[in-house]
Amino acid sequence: MRYNAPIALILSAMATCAWAQAAGSNSINVTAIIMFLAFVAVTLGITYWAARRTKTASDFYAAGGGITGFQNGLAIAGDYMSAASFLGIAGLVYTSGFDGLIYAIGFLVGWPIVLVLIAEPLRNLGKYTFADVASFRLQQKPIRILAASGSLVTVIFYLIAQMVGAGKLIELLFGLPYEVAVVIVGVLMTLYVTFGGMIATTWVQLIKAILLLSGATLMAVLVMVQFGFSFENMFAEAVKVHAKGDAIMAPGTLVSDPISAISLGIALMFGTAGLPHILMRFFTVKDAVQARRSVFYATGFIGYFYILTFIIGFGAIILLLKNPAYFTDGALIGGANMAAIHLSQALGGDILLGFISAVAFATILAVVSGLTLAGSSAISHDLYATLVLKGDRDEKKEIRASRIATVCLGVIAVLLGIVFEKQNVAFMVGLAFCVAASANFPILLLSMYWRKLTTRGAVMGGGLGLLTAVILVVLGPTVWVDAFGFAEAIFPYKYPAIFSVSIAFIGIWFFSITDKSATAANEQAAFDAQFVRSQTGIGAAEASQH
Amino acid sequence: MSTPDSIRQLPEYAALTRARKKIMWPLSLATIAAYFALILTIAFYPSTLGEPIGDGVTSIGMVLGLSVIVFCMVITGIYVYYANRVLEPLTQAIVKKAGGAA
Repeated sequence: MRYNAPIALILSAMATCAWAQAAGSNSINVTAIIMFLAFVAVTLGITYWAARRTKTASDFYAAGGGITGFQNGLAIAGDYMSAASFLGIAGLVYTSGFDGLIYAIGFLVGWPIVLVLIAEPLRNLGKYTFADVASFRLQQKPIRILAASGSLVTVIFYLIAQMVGAGKLIELLFGLPYEVAVVIVGVLMTLYVTFGGMIATTWVQLIKAILLLSGATLMAVLVMVQFGFSFENMFAEAVKVHAKGDAIMAPGTLVSDPISAISLGIALMFGTAGLPHILMRFFTVKDAVQARRSVFYATGFIGYFYILTFIIGFGAIILLLKNPAYFTDGALIGGANMAAIHLSQALGGDILLGFISAVAFATILAVVSGLTLAGSSAISHDLYATLVLKGDRDEKKEIRASRIATVCLGVIAVLLGIVFEKQNVAFMVGLAFCVAASANFPILLLSMYWRKLTTRGAVMGGGLGLLTAVILVVLGPTVWVDAFGFAEAIFPYKYPAIFSVSIAFIGIWFFSITDKSATAANEQAAFDAQFVRSQTGIGAAEASQH
Repeated sequence: MSTPDSIRQLPEYAALTRARKKIMWPLSLATIAAYFALILTIAFYPSTLGEPIGDGVTSIGMVLGLSVIVFCMVITGIYVYYANRVLEPLTQAIVKKAGGAA
């Protein structure tokens, strides 16, 4: 990709100009801009380096399988520690204390499940996408269409949430107009993925994960040092200053009824095991041993990070509520989601504010890049290669399709980001998890462990799960009432996972056991050979040598 | 190279699938049980979780919540330890007998 460097230079120059203009009109944090430009320069450098190493489909989709377990664990953690979880959970702890912890726990508990049930068979059976695994002994065409649909729906909802969050955050932090911010994010992520593929996406993610973990550690230590590293002292002080008093130590209004509580739990726990951009990372390591090691490190980093975020939320309660400078008309400037950002200034002045702002921006960029790569792989590897190329497995054509898909997804993400600017997009991450739990996860799990699964069962059950999840969210309070403005929701619960996941599993079971066709018998007979490979790794795709 | 059918006849293969089942389901169920126990307590007995421990302000819920985070990390640690010690030698033995076909 020789033409990549000049383009990158022009674009980063354009971005700098936009900044310089904005800098004149607003009070702008110089540290933030310098650090962010340094991040962009380094990551574009990595993209240039990665582009020269991206020759085969394996390089493009899976970084040639040459990532170590530790690196991959950090990259997975990076994919998972989005700005939404950093700023969102800190903001939730700041507003209601314990409720923020409920979310943090929900996002973590899927990981032991991924490790114990999914990671090793996934690596042993698949090559680039989880559809490889789902379609291993089933019919390629229908299963790949369904798996790709599940992936794309998940990726697009997730992308919208990230793009809107990015636009608002950058607008606030750097004083850039919302549209300009969304375009910059869109252009940079498209560059990383189109030219650098999985190699660039992984290294961008690694750098960002290290920056985010160090920034959050520093903030948490600066908070804890004020309370002699005692949680009890910190809680006592927070209860004293918070308007809700000791109610912040107990469950609040976030999870009100049992159905919603269980439903949210199911979506978060099993959704994690169905996120396409996370599943894709398991193909970047050499073998099942490294896949296992990846999840061990990832769980450690993510759990540690959530504990930091929790401390940061409490730090924000104590240090911000006492200081009127962070408020306008009694509300935190920029909303509760800015609690962590304001806290960085309270703790370390403009330098730490600049650093944390740049880290937040880097976080968004890295996460949207991973999502875009997962989306474009679903299009090129699952749809284009199976439906258009068919038997003619031409890697060059497939990679080209993936690059075109990346550019299209970049444009779509920017447009949707602008369209949804004024909408409340908080439900979209929840929806992404719900779809992942209701369509991707059941198909993946049962294809690995249930002999009787047939193509008909997977397509009908998975399709029903996908549809139910989307329809019930639209008819529920978050979209029907909050977004569309109707007075009452048709479906009463915020989180439909308990219904949609059940429908998916029951549908898959019913349409599989009643499938008496000859192909179904063959698919069931093929289970034993698949299970041997999934358990031992004999015959699994290997790392490319170069 | 051995066929999947001949691999399935190996005693090590039977031992591997047995050993894996022995760790897979207990750990998954333990994680699910710990999480849903917390979620159900939040749904049905929220005030219990708000009770302070001793004379302090730290509530039972805070301690339980942070424990579940640590519990997840411990579960992954147990699995990786067991997999490296028990599952990996069996897998290697199978790969060796199957003629290094991995």
